[in-house]
Amino acid sequence: MINCRISKDRMIEALYGELGPSEKERFDEHLSSCPECASEYSVLGATLRVMDRRERPDPGERFWDGYWDRLETRLEREETVKVPGPSLGARLGRAFSVLPRWSYQAAGAVALLLVGILIGSRLINPTGGGAGMETAAVSAPAGAVVNAENFIDRSKVLLLGLVNHNPATEDAYAFDLGRKKTVSRELAAEAPALRNALNQRGQKRLRDLVSDLEVIMMQIANLESGQDVEGVELIKQGVDRRGIFLKIDLDRMGREARSEDVNPPKNKKI
Amino acid sequence: MEESSLIQGMARGDRTAFREFVEQYKKKVYYQALDMVGNSIDAEDVSQEVFLKVFRSFATFKKDAKLSSWLYRVTYNASIDHLRRKESVPEPVGDDILESRSQEDAGLPPRGAVDPALAAESSLLQARISRALDKVSPQEKAVFLLRHYDDLMLKDIASSLGLSVGSVKSYLFRAVRKLQKELGGSAPISGMEASHD
Repeated sequence: MINCRISKDRMIEALYGELGPSEKERFDEHLSSCPECASEYSVLGATLRVMDRRERPDPGERFWDGYWDRLETRLEREETVKVPGPSLGARLGRAFSVLPRWSYQAAGAVALLLVGILIGSRLINPTGGGAGMETAAVSAPAGAVVNAENFIDRSKVLLLGLVNHNPATEDAYAFDLGRKKTVSRELAAEAPALRNALNQRGQKRLRDLVSDLEVIMMQIANLESGQDVEGVELIKQGVDRRGIFLKIDLDRMGREARSEDVNPPKNKKI
Repeated sequence: MEESSLIQGMARGDRTAFREFVEQYKKKVYYQALDMVGNSIDAEDVSQEVFLKVFRSFATFKKDAKLSSWLYRVTYNASIDHLRRKESVPEPVGDDILESRSQEDAGLPPRGAVDPALAAESSLLQARISRALDKVSPQEKAVFLLRHYDDLMLKDIASSLGLSVGSVKSYLFRAVRKLQKELGGSAPISGMEASHD
């Protein structure tokens, strides 16, 4: 016969069926003669049965389908950041070390000539229209960025409609959750390709914002049909907690700043 | 792909083997992380971190060890690191926030739930369970989740988490007791706080 201390020591194993037959027999024997241990065993067993009813939210098929792509993007991003090639200085140093002396003199002469041409063109055309156009061509946003910004703008419109909706004062029909779910589904479907395309340095913030919006779009797409006030409220809280609108505004400000760099306002004093 | 060829491929740094590995374990790792960190965004982040760690440091994996046990350990450590990092940026935790977090942790309202009363009851239960789990320490929680939901034996949990079987039993017992205390009203038999020896 075992005592209460040993019984308690074996209770967990008994609850999870990990006691051997003879140990289990002795344990049961003790319970039949000890109401306190028996009731503790019963209460803990009941707790485990409640815990059996726990549900873990499934993020959905789309989440799982895109999991590898998102992971691979991150892997490649980290590899790019952590294993940089030789620095520009080192590469130039290596290149120059194998060049003959006359090539330095020739390069110097060409550089002087280019500087002269540049100064001359500035003096002749001080507005610098040609140079401005060149800059615009170089720093014009790549297609991926334009697509991402378009995605962000459309997501913002949708989110504004959602967060500004007040079910207590507004008509559910006018709110049109069904339409919002459809648009969200389309946006969520676009997001993985956009994220993958944003693989350049300096695009992390944009990529992260697209990821955040993708998750929210998936949540909207998965809302219950009808009004689903509770689901909408959870999404509003998520938008707020992640500071989505702040991030969108920061992105917009960055865009405007870049646009001003390329096309400075005519009345701007330098 | 069999586990042995998966291990060989991973050891060579083969991307195809790595992808296979991710596809095989992504749900386990994601849900373990979700259980630990409590929300889907962080869970995906932690789970990706786990796979990247595995990919980068597969050489440290002992070939005679069980791959899933090693993965549990890496996931557990990554989750704990994540929770520590989050602790350094404290968030206000009032009752309202706890309430909303509990609801969020339980996910969106259950899909396909027809009866609103049942859906509400289920939602409440999920929130209570989630709140109860929040009261359990990360170590106790990890042990409980591995035993209760992943069905790992106590000795396997001990080897996965680098603990003794005695410690695992102790953590698990404390976890179940805390859960019982928190869920007291949900259990059919209540008011029986076991504290005798």
